[in-house]
Amino acid sequence: MIEILYYLLLSLGAAFCAYRAMISRHLLPSALYLACVSALSTVILYMLGAYEVAVIELSVGAGLVTVLLVYALSVVGDDSFDPASIIPKPLAFLLVAAIAVMVGWMAYPLASQPAVNGEVLLADVLWKHRALDVWVQVALIFSGVLGVLGLLSEKVQREEMPKHENQTAVENEAISIQMEQEIPV
Amino acid sequence: MTLNSLNVVLFGVILLLAVGFYGLLITRNLIKIVLVLQVLVKAVVIALVLAGKQSGNLGLGQSIAATVIVADTVVAVVALALAVQVRRHTGTLDLSKISTLRG
Amino acid sequence: MAGILIGLVIGLPWLGALVLWQTRDENPRLQHTLAVAFSIAAGVASLALIPFASAETAISIPMGHYFGELTFTADGLAVALTAIACVIGSLAVIFSVDYMQGEEQLSRYYAFVLLFIGAMAGLVLSGNLLFMFFFWEITALCSYALISFYNDDPKAVAGGIKALIITQVGGVGLLAGALTTYAVLGSYQVSDLLAKAETMPAGLLTLIAFGFLIAAAAKSAQFPFHTWLPDAMEAPTPISALIHAATMVNAGVYLLARFYPAFQHVAGWTLAVTIVGLVSALITAFMALTATDLKRALAYSTVSQLGYMVYAIGVGGVFASQFHLLSHAVFKALLFLSAGAVIHSAGTRDMRRMGALGKQMPFVRNVFILGALALAGLPILNGFWSKELILEAGLSEGPLWAYVGMLLGAGMTAFYTLRMTWIVFFGEARESLHVHDAGKAMKVSLGLLALGTLTTWLLAGPFGEMLDETLPFHSIHNLNLSELANEIFTAPATYVALAMVALGLAIFWLFRKQATAKSEAWMDILSRESFGFDWLNGQVAERTVQFASVLQKTQTGVLSWNVVGILGALLAVLIFLVWSA
Repeated sequence: MIEILYYLLLSLGAAFCAYRAMISRHLLPSALYLACVSALSTVILYMLGAYEVAVIELSVGAGLVTVLLVYALSVVGDDSFDPASIIPKPLAFLLVAAIAVMVGWMAYPLASQPAVNGEVLLADVLWKHRALDVWVQVALIFSGVLGVLGLLSEKVQREEMPKHENQTAVENEAISIQMEQEIPV
Repeated sequence: MTLNSLNVVLFGVILLLAVGFYGLLITRNLIKIVLVLQVLVKAVVIALVLAGKQSGNLGLGQSIAATVIVADTVVAVVALALAVQVRRHTGTLDLSKISTLRG
Repeated sequence: MAGILIGLVIGLPWLGALVLWQTRDENPRLQHTLAVAFSIAAGVASLALIPFASAETAISIPMGHYFGELTFTADGLAVALTAIACVIGSLAVIFSVDYMQGEEQLSRYYAFVLLFIGAMAGLVLSGNLLFMFFFWEITALCSYALISFYNDDPKAVAGGIKALIITQVGGVGLLAGALTTYAVLGSYQVSDLLAKAETMPAGLLTLIAFGFLIAAAAKSAQFPFHTWLPDAMEAPTPISALIHAATMVNAGVYLLARFYPAFQHVAGWTLAVTIVGLVSALITAFMALTATDLKRALAYSTVSQLGYMVYAIGVGGVFASQFHLLSHAVFKALLFLSAGAVIHSAGTRDMRRMGALGKQMPFVRNVFILGALALAGLPILNGFWSKELILEAGLSEGPLWAYVGMLLGAGMTAFYTLRMTWIVFFGEARESLHVHDAGKAMKVSLGLLALGTLTTWLLAGPFGEMLDETLPFHSIHNLNLSELANEIFTAPATYVALAMVALGLAIFWLFRKQATAKSEAWMDILSRESFGFDWLNGQVAERTVQFASVLQKTQTGVLSWNVVGILGALLAVLIFLVWSA
């Protein structure tokens, strides 16, 4: 019984933090609230028995993503603007409420059944049954790194810049030579 | 209506999903959209582990959850890099202003 | 051992691609040397693989029970095609040393060539349909990237896009076939599909068979997808020789040959294959009759010869088709590379501006004539033996009308081959082009290919034996060399075919004035428009664009509204699920 209470508090806390992250005017508090959501969901994952994913979630979700968000904010500057939504808010609310009700309707009977006992080790599943997933993840991370390097680097522009300068310098020279020739005339 | 730990967690998942979807609908700040997507993925990760727990195959649920976390982190990284570039080139992060840009 | 060699054959070119990708363009000598070294190493590994040919799975990497295993099988069919890809690949790279001299962005060029060679080896060695698809798509990507190598030329870019789109249509066919196989058998293994094809539901097997036929036709530029290959001739000539004559376009024929035992009892499949081969062979041979662009003429003849191979599979002559594939890869690579030497030194691809070049470039002339004679099917060159085998298989197993059509094709082949040779190397000079004979590296690869054209038919016996021993599901009509010679020289079909070839040559000789002149005759116009297929392609593309522009109105470009659409669709799906439950 006490366990149910814990779960309830954690879920409500996560949803509350998520809500605060969404409505906050400034982006920095939003990022911190997101870290809270991540930390609370880590606890839920841990209590459900998913110890490995809990560790990944804590280090990646609460750690890495927060750091990335803060870094991005420090690059672009935390300009606080909160313009009115493009979508009418009642429409958005109705749509989301309808989806929430439908998902709950569908999943409730399943989640109410007692859990089946049976233990398969994560390591077995990950490395034996779904080995291809691991390879795809490696490729994904690699392409993600490449994508970021391509996006953040200004190398291409830097390489092109001197070329243009040279060209313009040559052109300028040509023009000045022309002018010199024209002046005596 | 019985309360057990699983359907309480399901309730939490649905709340997180609802907040995420609602945020996705009303936000206009590009970086905040990345942030809201993270909230959605948290809900999905918990839901996957929940389903694994319920069906007695927690390992499978965990492995897919781990894949989702990896994929989503890559998405977040690339999306943030894009947002930074958009901000650099257009000077704004407002969706409605960005979407009216041409060429 | 076979496993290590397979690893080398795929891994070496890919490693080379990675290394060359990192090289800087300031040092072309290093780039040439590295590319040649890696491709020759791969060629040696592929030749060393031949003695290890067996039906056993050589490498098996577990990918978990949801995906099956990544397997590589070095059976006769696979090692033969691997050897063709790697050896002709290394010859094309050697040729490139002269051909691409002084070009920019060599690292991009060589990286894609080496990536292609490794992917082609992987495609034929793979024993898993999902990974076959993976390698299949890499070859398509390399083909696209290399056709558009001169990416400041709009024609090259358009040709690359056209090739990419059309081969993607085929890729969808292959993927659909692979997924259907998995849905029915729960396995992606090629051997499972071959072993259990008869137990599968007939409708689904038909779906797989025709999916693979679409894939093969698109990859091998067969009717109705033949329009991409002539436009792919904007690529550098070594690429045309390697990818668009000797290897990648053979992948379709390989696919049909590989799965022939599984599909041969599917209603209408062999007839469809026969018709695809026949129609492709005839209409492109017809287009080659009046072509004025040297490389396009060769491209038409490639489609036509691939049509012969597809036809051979349709009438059950798997060995004949694979033997012709080997011969064709060698002599067509020779023809393309010597055409490349001509184009490189003359600076034009237009045959109307050439003429009497033979005196200035005797070496190229000699090897070109050798290749041309093999293409026309004259004894005792390799093209003769394999073409006779195909026609014989067609006469004994296939419908008579198809055989007559293929005979007619043989006559046309002789005609356009002689016409091409005559216009370029003989007759009177139309323009004073300053040409020079081929460079040293070009001569090495041309000489080796010419040697191959003279001798690869001697391999018929061992090749047939190897296929027979290592392909448990195929029934190969296995002959040793003397039996083969006996069968070919005693069969009346051979003399009919030779008479047809002689007729083609004679007709050209009698009408050589008209045939080499620029004409605006109906057949010329018909060929230039590819019998209306280019128009058809254009219409399909245009309709797609029109449809897209109608749909575009639903795209506001505002993310929030797009999310409303996604969530609305999600809601609809949820309601449907709850409703139907």
